[in-house]
Amino acid sequence: MELDAVVLGTGLSESIVAAALSKAGYKIAHVDINPYYGGDEASLTLDELLQWAKERAESSVDSDSAYLSSQRERFTNISYTGSLPLQSRQYAVSLLPMLVPSAGPTIDSLIASGVSRYGGFKLLEKVALFDSPGVVKPVPGNKEDVFKNKQLSLLGKRRLMRFLMFAGGEFEDKPELQGSEQMPFTDFLKDKFSLKEEAVQAIAYALAFCALASDPTLPALERIRRYLRSSGRYGPSPFLVGHYGGAGEIAQGFCRTAAVAGATYVLGRQVSSIVTAPIAEKTTGKYTLNLEDLSEQLRCDLLISSPDHLPLDLQGDSSITTASTNCSFARCIAVIDRPVSFSTSESLEGSGGEDPASDMPIQDLSVDTALLVFSPSSIPIGSSTVAVNVLITGEGSMSAPRGRWILYITMPLLGDQSGGSHSPEELLRPYLDATLSLTRTSEHPESALPLVTLFYEQSPREGPENNSTEASLMLSTPPHSRYLPEVADSAARNAEVTFWRALEVLKSAGRLPGDKNSEEAVENFWPPLEYVNGEDDEW
Amino acid sequence: MLYVQKKNEDLSRGAFDLTTQMLRMNPEFYTVWNYRRHIFIQGIFPNSSPAAINELLSEDLGLTAAFLKQHPKVYWIWNHRRWCLEQVPDGPLDEDKDGWRMANWNKELFLVEKMLDVDPRNFHAWNYRRYVLASIPVRRSQVSELSYTTRKIESNFSNFSAWHQRTKVLASLWQAGELNVAQSREDELDLVKNAMYTDPDDQSVWIYHRWLIGDGDDPLLLQREIASIQELLDEQPDSKWCMESIVYYKTLLLRRHLSTMDTSVQQSLVGECFDLLSKLQYVDSNRKQRYIELSDEIKNTFL
Repeated sequence: MELDAVVLGTGLSESIVAAALSKAGYKIAHVDINPYYGGDEASLTLDELLQWAKERAESSVDSDSAYLSSQRERFTNISYTGSLPLQSRQYAVSLLPMLVPSAGPTIDSLIASGVSRYGGFKLLEKVALFDSPGVVKPVPGNKEDVFKNKQLSLLGKRRLMRFLMFAGGEFEDKPELQGSEQMPFTDFLKDKFSLKEEAVQAIAYALAFCALASDPTLPALERIRRYLRSSGRYGPSPFLVGHYGGAGEIAQGFCRTAAVAGATYVLGRQVSSIVTAPIAEKTTGKYTLNLEDLSEQLRCDLLISSPDHLPLDLQGDSSITTASTNCSFARCIAVIDRPVSFSTSESLEGSGGEDPASDMPIQDLSVDTALLVFSPSSIPIGSSTVAVNVLITGEGSMSAPRGRWILYITMPLLGDQSGGSHSPEELLRPYLDATLSLTRTSEHPESALPLVTLFYEQSPREGPENNSTEASLMLSTPPHSRYLPEVADSAARNAEVTFWRALEVLKSAGRLPGDKNSEEAVENFWPPLEYVNGEDDEW
Repeated sequence: MLYVQKKNEDLSRGAFDLTTQMLRMNPEFYTVWNYRRHIFIQGIFPNSSPAAINELLSEDLGLTAAFLKQHPKVYWIWNHRRWCLEQVPDGPLDEDKDGWRMANWNKELFLVEKMLDVDPRNFHAWNYRRYVLASIPVRRSQVSELSYTTRKIESNFSNFSAWHQRTKVLASLWQAGELNVAQSREDELDLVKNAMYTDPDDQSVWIYHRWLIGDGDDPLLLQREIASIQELLDEQPDSKWCMESIVYYKTLLLRRHLSTMDTSVQQSLVGECFDLLSKLQYVDSNRKQRYIELSDEIKNTFL
């Protein structure tokens, strides 16, 4: 089969590139060894997740693919407990928990590509900081939250609002920032805005999602500004959570769009060999791919791949290297059958019913789709330098059956956790227990017991270090951002960079978008959407 | 054509349907609304059973609800709803005379809340809400209305309509003796202070504060509030509303309590007002002339 490009791996970044190239008119094939879409960002049912974990936990068998052995190096210290609950296929568990800001490259791509028509999203309900067992602290992220907050002093409110106005505006030239761009963000908040510890924690870890107190100021401010400007687009929260497990479902949406535009999909097949043609032979295409159990060969001038999917002998050749500065993560996925409640100290005090005449219903503080943040030192046996977050998704995000919730705990292995002497289970068990303390109610004074838990460590891909001159081979998967709301956007940004580079390579190989016979250059990442008759024209 | 029919006193169903069509095109055509009501009263009601009348009015309420979604601020639509609600006959049973009315009013309250969810600052809707609450056969408690405004203010306090509703509800609760005035005022001052510190540039908050202080009968309260605003001004030295309010309350203090004041205290109050007003001329230069006039007024009255 003659193609312009072959994309290997269906991770988020690769899928976006595949859709963009395909929509631009290029003929592409998209191949994944896995029988599902999404790669390391897939959404799996619980039984698939169990299978995924088993394959990576088993000690190596000779007949295994290069892909699986590289996966085993990257997903380590796996421990699984619990038995498969009923309806295990009604769960959509994401291998990569993430939040999508309501404004940014991911949403732009989703809308411009038309993928947004396939996927659904739920607005994140709440972000809270863990306070003590059973109790959280609200995170004042906007004017109304600050006004309602009962813990901040009046002066504290004024200072916090002044900071939020600063962070939401054009702060680049403001005197407060001059010379402090790389200062630890927590120090910046204390020094320049006279904020107290409580407010500093909320801003640094629950608004800017810093992993460490020493995270630099300028990027943290830029993140906060993006999130402040994201709020209000789809509702009060700046963040969206994808239905059916998020990242994997979005990747699949882009794949579907690519297929609609003519891309060929091959899932569950391994690339058995890639033959590079000598430069002299111009006619047949630079690369010839043989797929397992498939007689037809794929010939193309450009290969775009996630590193795991490339045979070792080609890995030295790639033109984009994955940043090895990225960190490892300890992760936990747990399924629970009682809701987590975000009770604050006031809501607990006030539960006596101070206003009997009021007809306000007793507030239901349980959450369906929300984020809990542990700032450093917030639990006694936890990390004293690293912030940990817990994404909770339930029925509302279509990722669990009614009455079940999935918890995703993520800890970047940085600061005092970078040594790696503890297993992910040892590291994260205290955080899981603390989160479960929020399931206690007067009816159930004990914490809920998880039905299933999976702990593992995820290392970054060991990308080749050398910048090869070979431009026709590209690695596209970016390092997973350590900031939960940046994961998707960094993939989308990386996809766009890869797309433009791919265009240059294809042009220099003399390949123009297929059915367009003109010399018309591709001008946009996404071509204009065709007008779809439907809900938009109801008047 | 409609004018001709109107002139000819055409009270037929055809004329009625024509008004519906016209109003669909332009719900601001008040002559048509009047004609429609005329047909109702003269042409339709005399020949209809109470149940049929109730049915027709419900239909009109449904129609106008749809209009409101598109035109939430047209007086004639709100006006027509009032008329419909007031025409609802007794029934369905003799022993349940208010049955239809209650059902309609409750629907009305629900509609108004929906309208306020969409646009919490629609003053038509707030005004209409007061009307509904006052007309409903079985009154809702004012305390629950107070907590309704609290919810609206908490979701966005830059909403003068909600604060205004609060002044109405509180005034009636205070008058009825259902709330301890002094305690309730303290609670309100605390609430409004939280809003002032959160956003000192929000005008509605300061206006509400002025309503709470009222005539300034209590010099201690005035002095305490001046001190508290001064604290905020110290933290936020460029706040126009802080400065203006301090001038306002100090002037009030002078006006109301001059007789109990030493000349030196009086002198210093006047001096402080002058200072703030000259700063205001600079901070809020668009209203420079207003501040100059205020200075002159204070000079003429107290010096």
